[in-house]
Amino acid sequence: MGDLLSLFINSVFIGNILLAYFLGICSFIAVSKTLETATGLGLAVIFVLTVTSPVNWLIYHGLLAPGALAWAGFPELDLSFLKFITFIAVIAAMVQAVEMVIDRYSPLLYATLGVFLPLIAVNCAILGTSLFMVERNHTFIESVVFGAGSGTGWMLAIVSLAAIRKKVRYADVPKGLDGFGFIMIIAGLMAMTFMMFSGITL
Amino acid sequence: MNKDIFMQNDLSHYKEILVKGIWRENPVAYQVLGICSALAVTVKMSTALVMSIALTLVAGFSGLIISSLRHLIPSNIRIIVELTVIASLVIITDQILQAYLYDISKQLSIFVGLIITNCIILGRAEAFALANNPADSFVDGIANGLGYSMILMAVAFFRELLGSGHFFGFSVIPRFVYDMGFQDMGIMVLAPGAFFIIGLLVWLKNSLPGISHEKK
Amino acid sequence: MSDKKKSNRSFKNSRVYVVFFALTVALVFSVLITSAATMLKPLHQQNRILDKKTNLLEAANLLPENEKMTPEKIQAIYDTHIREVHADPRGQILRSATGDSLQLYLIHTDQQVQGYIVPISTRGLWGKIHGYLAFEADGETVAGFSVYSHSETPGLGGEIESQWFQDNFKGKKILNAHNQLVSVSIAKGRTENLPESLQDHYVDGISGATLTGRYLSEGLEETLTQYEPVSITFRQKKGTQTHLETLLDE
Repeated sequence: MGDLLSLFINSVFIGNILLAYFLGICSFIAVSKTLETATGLGLAVIFVLTVTSPVNWLIYHGLLAPGALAWAGFPELDLSFLKFITFIAVIAAMVQAVEMVIDRYSPLLYATLGVFLPLIAVNCAILGTSLFMVERNHTFIESVVFGAGSGTGWMLAIVSLAAIRKKVRYADVPKGLDGFGFIMIIAGLMAMTFMMFSGITL
Repeated sequence: MNKDIFMQNDLSHYKEILVKGIWRENPVAYQVLGICSALAVTVKMSTALVMSIALTLVAGFSGLIISSLRHLIPSNIRIIVELTVIASLVIITDQILQAYLYDISKQLSIFVGLIITNCIILGRAEAFALANNPADSFVDGIANGLGYSMILMAVAFFRELLGSGHFFGFSVIPRFVYDMGFQDMGIMVLAPGAFFIIGLLVWLKNSLPGISHEKK
Repeated sequence: MSDKKKSNRSFKNSRVYVVFFALTVALVFSVLITSAATMLKPLHQQNRILDKKTNLLEAANLLPENEKMTPEKIQAIYDTHIREVHADPRGQILRSATGDSLQLYLIHTDQQVQGYIVPISTRGLWGKIHGYLAFEADGETVAGFSVYSHSETPGLGGEIESQWFQDNFKGKKILNAHNQLVSVSIAKGRTENLPESLQDHYVDGISGATLTGRYLSEGLEETLTQYEPVSITFRQKKGTQTHLETLLDE
């Protein structure tokens, strides 16, 4: 239990998928213009990650990993090279499902998020989390916790950025820096603050 | 004689696509967004170089293949087919890297796989390959890949130089500079350094003439 | 739009065609990917094995400093100086594995055993850390350390793969003044800040990577406790030259 908690805390703060590994920045920038869209997208991402991570775990360890097909009589087979394609397919399907759910229960959120909802499917953070899960050899429970942790960390970053952008809206930024460049500097400062968490021992 | 003129037109046509892709038509933000997922490999120039080559080739060939199929793809599974082509190319690239550049592929870890979700490749497939012929699409893919590579290598250059005093693994800062008190900037090797360098490079590029400016 | 174009478009979107197209694309690309993967697989295996061997040699300080190493050279040095063996729970060195034996490697030159290498697989911050810890023939002094696989954060925990971190292990002792097993641990900060008596048993820590250091230390202690019978076997031979084959036949 302590290990899982530790994994969750690490994924949210020290190894924040956005601030430490740079994944998921495309939507990070576009959707952080208002706090509402940031929160909405953040929650959607947490949900997608918490579901796709274990599903991909099952597919990888049940079908693709070396020796995984022993139950079907093919212990020699190693299909791990198919992981990129299967993972992205699972993610795309999952995002489609989330889209339908959001449209059904909150057409307003659906309309506000607009094109960014289907774009979750190509959000590097989602595919990245599944790939890290394979590389780090997580167990099934760890993949759930890692998915939830990554998502929470990503949401924390995007919501924080939205709040900061609100504050600096009327700042006098030099012309060439304004917009994307400025956001990158802010993200860098945020990354520095998150690194501070590596001093914490649980 | 006629053939010569024809050839010349062809070459300048490709040059046009190339220049547009690398420099003129891409707003900085669009290009830089594409490199975000690869920032983790910009700690060293060697890994950034391999990453750049991998992405450029995938961009070129995915443009070529998707363009060749453009009249055959049913519109409702368009994105899926594009993703399939891109993912297959990435898998093949990853296999090749593991076979011939094992050490570097270990350092690139999952980031080669993330080429699949790279905004640039999918974006160009949608915006260009579906409406143009294969040869043009190939050149366009390569051009966008080269634009990407330039920025990625620039970030890697600063991070490696300032963070560890190296250039492609070779120590280039002379002894006397260290003796004067200069120290390797640890922050360049870590995440915040990458963000700062990118921010500053974007500022630089936006201040240069002839670049299309991003829309706010 | 012309009638021909209209009917063309509707055919392209007809269910039959979509399914047919999807299946064809799936088939063609599956064949391409699978051929690439299968053809290149032997190379991958070779690379993995070579990487492990290179790391073994690195831990044992057998790699020449500034020379460009080719696979053939590495294989040659490995064949000449490394012997893969096993050890039973009593510390007896065996030629082949038994049910509960541990794997290790002997370093030898001209048939004389000069040390041994213990494979390390510990938990890390994110995933496992795999490496090799080499010892001198006295069974208590570390000869070298190398890491060939880890998932630690680049720039922080990832520094365990850098030269400076690994070099610090050379010469450290796993036994304290009272001949108790204390293993080698990663300090929090620099070892010069530790009391004299502890300095031989700690290496400099990596700033910002306390957790990685802690997990690695715990893993090393666990592994060395497991391999203690082997170390004792070597300590008992201290001072006498050990012939390779004699050791294996005991």
